[in-house]
Amino acid sequence: MDPTAVLDLFAATIRIATPLLLAALGGLLSERSGTFAVGVEGMMLAGAFGGALAMLGGAGVLLGFVAAGCAGALVGVVVAVATARFRADQMVTGLAANVLVLGLTSFLLRGLFGGRAPVIRFSPPAAWPVPLLSDLPFLGPVLFRQAPVVYLAFLAVLPLGWFLARTRAGLVLRAVGENPEAAFAAGSDPIRLRMIAVIAGAALAGTGGAVVALQEVGTFTDGMTNGRGFIALAAILVGRWTPIGAMGGCLLFGFVSALELRAQGWGLPVSSYVLQMAPYLIALALLAGVGRAARLPAAIGVPFTRH
Amino acid sequence: MTPDETKTMTTALPRAAILAWPAIASRLLRSTAMRTVGAVLLALLLTALLIAIAGKSPIAAYGAMLRGAFGSLDRIAFGLNKSTPYILAGLGVAICFRAKVINIGAEGQIALGGVGATTVALAGLALPSALVVPFALAAGALFGAVWAGVAAFVRLRSGVHEVLCTLLLNFVGVLIVSEVLHGRLGEEGAGFPQSPLLARSLWLPKAWPGTDLHLGIVLAVVATVLVHLLFWRTTFGMRLRIMGASQAAAAYVGISQARATMAVMLLAGALAGLAGGIEVLGVHYRLIEGFSTGFGFNAVAVALIASLNPIAVLPAGLFLGFLEAGALAMQREVGIPSSLVFVIQGLTMLLVLCALGLRGQPGKV
Repeated sequence: MDPTAVLDLFAATIRIATPLLLAALGGLLSERSGTFAVGVEGMMLAGAFGGALAMLGGAGVLLGFVAAGCAGALVGVVVAVATARFRADQMVTGLAANVLVLGLTSFLLRGLFGGRAPVIRFSPPAAWPVPLLSDLPFLGPVLFRQAPVVYLAFLAVLPLGWFLARTRAGLVLRAVGENPEAAFAAGSDPIRLRMIAVIAGAALAGTGGAVVALQEVGTFTDGMTNGRGFIALAAILVGRWTPIGAMGGCLLFGFVSALELRAQGWGLPVSSYVLQMAPYLIALALLAGVGRAARLPAAIGVPFTRH
Repeated sequence: MTPDETKTMTTALPRAAILAWPAIASRLLRSTAMRTVGAVLLALLLTALLIAIAGKSPIAAYGAMLRGAFGSLDRIAFGLNKSTPYILAGLGVAICFRAKVINIGAEGQIALGGVGATTVALAGLALPSALVVPFALAAGALFGAVWAGVAAFVRLRSGVHEVLCTLLLNFVGVLIVSEVLHGRLGEEGAGFPQSPLLARSLWLPKAWPGTDLHLGIVLAVVATVLVHLLFWRTTFGMRLRIMGASQAAAAYVGISQARATMAVMLLAGALAGLAGGIEVLGVHYRLIEGFSTGFGFNAVAVALIASLNPIAVLPAGLFLGFLEAGALAMQREVGIPSSLVFVIQGLTMLLVLCALGLRGQPGKV
């Protein structure tokens, strides 16, 4: 196997992990505040749709990502209101939101344009090699010749980790996810905080979806996020609800998909379907391994009621 | 009884009924069934708005939908066939959820059920076909049960939440269908990943000659009645209900929650697997890649719309089946994308969930 192919494999790993990472960080915010993030898939899809529509309307890439964040946040509002205000079951609400977004985006794509889906095509933003660093052997081509959004996504991991672990707001957010009654007694409003966390996370996940539409594919198609949201969820679990861990999980799943895309060309003796199963089986095995050790936020899934 | 007493009774009865009417009405309005119907109507109303935004007439659209669902015997047969897998898989989901076992794995269990039924149907068994068909369906149920059993095993063994086990195994189950279609069960030279067509003698018999309606709907009705009886009239059903109401109470009266969880998962898996087998033997007459897409979610939707009551799964499943059948016709006739069904489904579920949550039964799901 020649070295350029290996470099290409690792560079692709990073690229594929980027949308997963943004979605996983968004889901993490929601889950640490006590709301299961099953709706991440729909938030990503809404983001992809919003971003693509903005680009179609002549917006630049930057505005496209902003629109994607807003579209994701919109889904977040629906999920947040249903789960926090109406105390709806979080898992099934997430699933319902996913289906709603799948239908709405597909319907609007045609309905807004007189019944026929418009041709959406834009060229993805070019890679932006980091000066100096991109000339490093091995690390340069893998890490530092990526698109700007890739750097931003990975750079977001540390501040988010710091926010959750070290700031007062992060502490309150986690308290709401662990013991909302105590947080309420201490003067914070669990319902409001959970809604904020879900909506902010949804905006992040929306930009993750936009990475798929604007950066990877350059168009929008029905259901194009294609299960990435669920992979991001698995990455959160594998990473045990920390941003760094989630990043590790996303890289793992990114690597497996990058390998799967190249497996046929390399003549690997495994069918592509078995390789596609790998991320899910790895996630299951890791979960079973860490099983009881992987401690969910204590109050996740339990709606908060004022007594 | 003296004539006097009879007289007071006859006059008292209607008066009581009149006085009680507001109470009855408000109870009706507050009942789960009415709330669900209200949620469905509200979802349809919101969707009508969307149709109007898209510049089409909602009345024409819903008219086309109704004609498409009920316009002829063939259409009705189509809707009933569509409802069948939703009812069967929805039954399993409903009793799992009632026992607080959140099994969202119907999709994978249906996929595996299809694989099981196809394997037996294509095995060339030296048996009369009247026996092979039930065998193939049983194999479907068995495969589905095994797949649910795997999830339950991981759940009980290592404490991974069943939502995650079943969700992850869904993806694997769907990929297993692709894998076997590109290998052992695939049709040589077909442009599409599918198995060879089954021999005509192995097709599920028709329930109404002259239409496409197959026996699946009969099986679905029988299964609904059986699950209803199991859930409300047996010790096992009572164990499930106690588990769902309070884990502490279940532990206190000595119910083995591990055993009950495994049992209810196996049952749900068998029902979903049976649905997969019926799709293969009754609808496609072969295994097709992606034949189970969306079924798992629909099963959850049906269970929820039925507010987790087994007998109500029947109307809920019929509603969803005919809704889809009608939407396909609407797409053909009025040119409105049938993806609108997803919008209606998603909205209905969200509204039902909110209604259930507000009623102070968040734990029921």
